[in-house]
Amino acid sequence: MATLQQAAGKIKVTFKQAIGMLLPYVKNRVMEQVKSVALIIIYLVLFQTIVLQMGIVDASVIAVGLSLVVVGLTFFMEGLMLGLMPLGKLIGTKLPQKSKLPVILIFAFVLGIGATFAEPAIGILKSAGSSVKPWEAPLLFLLLNKFSNYLVYSVGVGVGIAVGFGMLRFIYKWSLKPFIYILIGGLIGYTIWAYMDPNMRALTGLAWDCGAVTTGPVTVPLVLALGIGICRIAGGASEGASGFGVVTLASLFPIIAVLILGTVFLGSVSKPMNETAFFSKKNQSKASSLFLSKEDLIGYAFKNASTESQLALFGEDKGEMLAYLKKLKTNKVLRTAVFGQESDAIENWAALYGSKDQQMVVFNHDKDAIKEAATYYARYVPPLNISDILKRNGFAAVQAIVPLTLLTMLMLVVVLREKLPHADEIMLGIVFAVFGMFLFSIGIELGLAKLGGQVGGKLPSSFMSIEMKEQIRNITNFDKGVVQTATTPDGELKEFFYLKTGSDYEEVPYYANGHDVEKGIYSYTPTKGPLYGSERGIMGIIVVLLFAFIVGYSATMAEPALNALGLTVEELTVGTFKKAILMQAVGLGVGVGITLGVAKILWGIPLIFLLLPPYILLLVITWLSTEEYVNIGWDSAGVTTGPVTVPLVLALGLGLGSQVGVTEGFGILAMASVCPILSVLTVGLIVTKNRKKVVWESLKSAPEGGTT
Amino acid sequence: MDSVKKLSRITCIVNRGLTPSIVENLNSIGIINLQIATARMLKQREKKGRFGMGSEMIFIEDPADIISFLVPSEQERAALNPIADNGGRSTPGRAMVFSKEVQLLKAHNLCHENNVDSNLEDKTLGLRTDLTGICCIVQRGEGNHVARVALDTGTCVPGITFGHGTGVRDKLGLLRITIPAEKEVINLIASSYDAEAVMDMMIDVGKLDQPGKGFIYLHPIAEGIANTKVTLGIPKHAASMEQIISEVDKIRGNTTWRRRTAADNEGDSKQKRSYLENLTNLIFTCNEGRGKELVKIAMQVGVAGATIIKLRNHHPIDSELSAISPAREECHMFVSENQILNIVDALEKEGGFDDKTHGQLLTHPILKACTYLGA
Repeated sequence: MATLQQAAGKIKVTFKQAIGMLLPYVKNRVMEQVKSVALIIIYLVLFQTIVLQMGIVDASVIAVGLSLVVVGLTFFMEGLMLGLMPLGKLIGTKLPQKSKLPVILIFAFVLGIGATFAEPAIGILKSAGSSVKPWEAPLLFLLLNKFSNYLVYSVGVGVGIAVGFGMLRFIYKWSLKPFIYILIGGLIGYTIWAYMDPNMRALTGLAWDCGAVTTGPVTVPLVLALGIGICRIAGGASEGASGFGVVTLASLFPIIAVLILGTVFLGSVSKPMNETAFFSKKNQSKASSLFLSKEDLIGYAFKNASTESQLALFGEDKGEMLAYLKKLKTNKVLRTAVFGQESDAIENWAALYGSKDQQMVVFNHDKDAIKEAATYYARYVPPLNISDILKRNGFAAVQAIVPLTLLTMLMLVVVLREKLPHADEIMLGIVFAVFGMFLFSIGIELGLAKLGGQVGGKLPSSFMSIEMKEQIRNITNFDKGVVQTATTPDGELKEFFYLKTGSDYEEVPYYANGHDVEKGIYSYTPTKGPLYGSERGIMGIIVVLLFAFIVGYSATMAEPALNALGLTVEELTVGTFKKAILMQAVGLGVGVGITLGVAKILWGIPLIFLLLPPYILLLVITWLSTEEYVNIGWDSAGVTTGPVTVPLVLALGLGLGSQVGVTEGFGILAMASVCPILSVLTVGLIVTKNRKKVVWESLKSAPEGGTT
Repeated sequence: MDSVKKLSRITCIVNRGLTPSIVENLNSIGIINLQIATARMLKQREKKGRFGMGSEMIFIEDPADIISFLVPSEQERAALNPIADNGGRSTPGRAMVFSKEVQLLKAHNLCHENNVDSNLEDKTLGLRTDLTGICCIVQRGEGNHVARVALDTGTCVPGITFGHGTGVRDKLGLLRITIPAEKEVINLIASSYDAEAVMDMMIDVGKLDQPGKGFIYLHPIAEGIANTKVTLGIPKHAASMEQIISEVDKIRGNTTWRRRTAADNEGDSKQKRSYLENLTNLIFTCNEGRGKELVKIAMQVGVAGATIIKLRNHHPIDSELSAISPAREECHMFVSENQILNIVDALEKEGGFDDKTHGQLLTHPILKACTYLGA
């Protein structure tokens, strides 16, 4: 073999040969991703069509979106393997060799902050907070809206400090366990204290969720590779899978940071109060401080608050409110400040949310125009703005990857003066990663999140009846003569009539308040459910919980960051800890966690009762486990909630929450982060026990000495 | 070439849990410069089949370490002693340790052999001198499939480590990403009589004579013990097979009695295989990161490629050896005798033995090798 080939520059490959090499390679990669994503997609589709018995709206758009997810993931994972991870390993081995400790720590800190700004996760949490009401949770509202930048900064600083500490830990070979005990102990204490104050209590859910979402698919490989490199240089005799543990810290420090941020702002925020009191003139200065401006406050009140509250804003003077509305119609600047930029924003609002008087003012007392607008805006679905989607996701993908990689490359080339080996592969990898993330985010938005939103919104129909607002029907020229009467077993009289749609005769219930006698129009919103068992019956609820479990499990299987972690673990342990086993254990854990989170929403269990017991149990199991498994287990949990799980879980939470009537849906993600640690550590305990037996046997058979 | 030293390279493959005590024992007798590579040991366990019908064999993978170090040939026995003494090494068939004769061609000053302090030489170690080593390099993912030959034939417990290959791949430009570079390196010891038969079986199972499938070779071993406890399971007899084999070896004084005839080997190869002979294994150890570039230089003087294995260098913190990076790479190249001089010169010119690289170049003969030889 050695004698046969002479090394001479590059080998020329014909086009046909090149295709022959590329095809199996591409096919391999694509099939891998199809396998990991298939489960969640098939499950959601089947659940919606079979269990919930509802068709999928916009099926073609969703199908396109889902295929984009597969293609995007393929490119992204390949980009990770080719570009980001080698880059991380490179800087991990060169940095400690060539720089002093302060430089290493500063780089780690900057990397941590940069990673937080790059990840889109915080933005997602903000959208989850859209249903938070400023009078129920002022502090939470403030941090999610006006001061959301501070939120991001504090999380960033938390992650930066965590990465710095993580590197320090490798260099000085400290165990991870004391860090965990101190951090978790401190967090539990802080959370209990925070629970005493109603404002802080609402914040705890957000704080723990922030920690859960920080480390995403770009941060994790970089930080992992950096850690592994540093561990190799720092040396040590008995190394298992070392280099892990930073992700854990990067998930715990931000929680403290957010709680501290909340404590800082606690004083400037009023206590929670009821809606009208919030909007009263007395409270106006405090209320405005939660918004960007007084106009912003007014706009919020119009869009989200009840009519009494709106009146309260104007000092109970209806005339003043209506006069103000009239002024808005003509004053463009003021109108933009209150209602936003669209030209028909005020009409849109009035038609859907305005009271009769407000509608009169806006539409100049034209009743026909009001009716027309009502139907138009109720049915109005904003068209798919393709260019906006492309621009937004493209920018996000570039923002997520390029700054971090540039930082790392600059560090390598300028500060450490190292040549970049296989630079073409690394560049290709970065391009793949950006392109992949771009496609993948679009796919999630158009496909997975949409699908999840549909399923989540209709999910409550399995145990309660819900209104299907988008199927509202208006029957014109309604003749009351068609209405018949039926009786219930209790002797109550219910009215209904028959509606012929197509070739079928459908029974439609008759409610007097839906009938506009003057215009001869009957409006009807169909309801659905409960599908399984009685209203709020246990059967339907079990369906929901089971659904939550399987969503958690299958979404986890698709997570790219977990994939990367699993591959790294398998590589470092030379195959003794298989990626498949790690992913199964984590998947199960996430499934259980999400089920518990959904239970929290359904039964309104305070978060603290669901969060604290598992963490205390964890402390015990951590103490019993080996260092290797502690590192891997805690890290795999920090990695789970990523770009696939989070949108799905949030859609689920929001859909359920809005139907069940719960204010904030935070906390599910935190649950989804703690349960996997338990499952992985348990697996670790079992495996270690078996292995210890083998070693103990070897050691024990020494007695007779060398008797061969 | 100046001062080509004849040394003994001792390698042992042990369960990860035993590594710290072994390293401690070695340190105590003066062996302070060690290399450790992470690996796994493959065994099989008999499990009761479903519904109580029959039984099946499942793989057990245990974390292991491959510890290797250099000593002068005369001190070989003394160096083997602590390993054999530790944790029942002498318990029949539980350990895998072997020594091979190598030549140290050139090295950085710090990368020299260890000197054993003790004179202890235990004659009752049970070392065999009629062993041959088999080393096989395959694509990642194929390791267990090929290594199980060792388990099925009861040869020994294989130790598998990860490596990555360079060679043809690097000349392809960006298309190289379609060819995976990750490899698995399988290490076995077999009785010299069986070695070729086992190698043939591995070639058949792994189709190693086809392009891109891998490379397998036999190398001579001076002394060693093999771990023959390949199967874990419910004991069916008063003594296990490897205990009996070991005792008979002792009684007979050699392993000749174990020799299998051609009739015992199922399905002999239909065609004559052509093997490569007169090859030498060139082992170049350097600091991590330098391996690829230096292999490239070697390729320019005729080397086809190399397989690079990552190791850690274990040495006392407060000695001069701490200048050597703990993260090291071991590059295995397979060359013919007449290429060696050129390679040494090329490496030296490129700084392979300077303070940045701390290079160490060893050679070890190869008895027979097989791979795809075609057009």
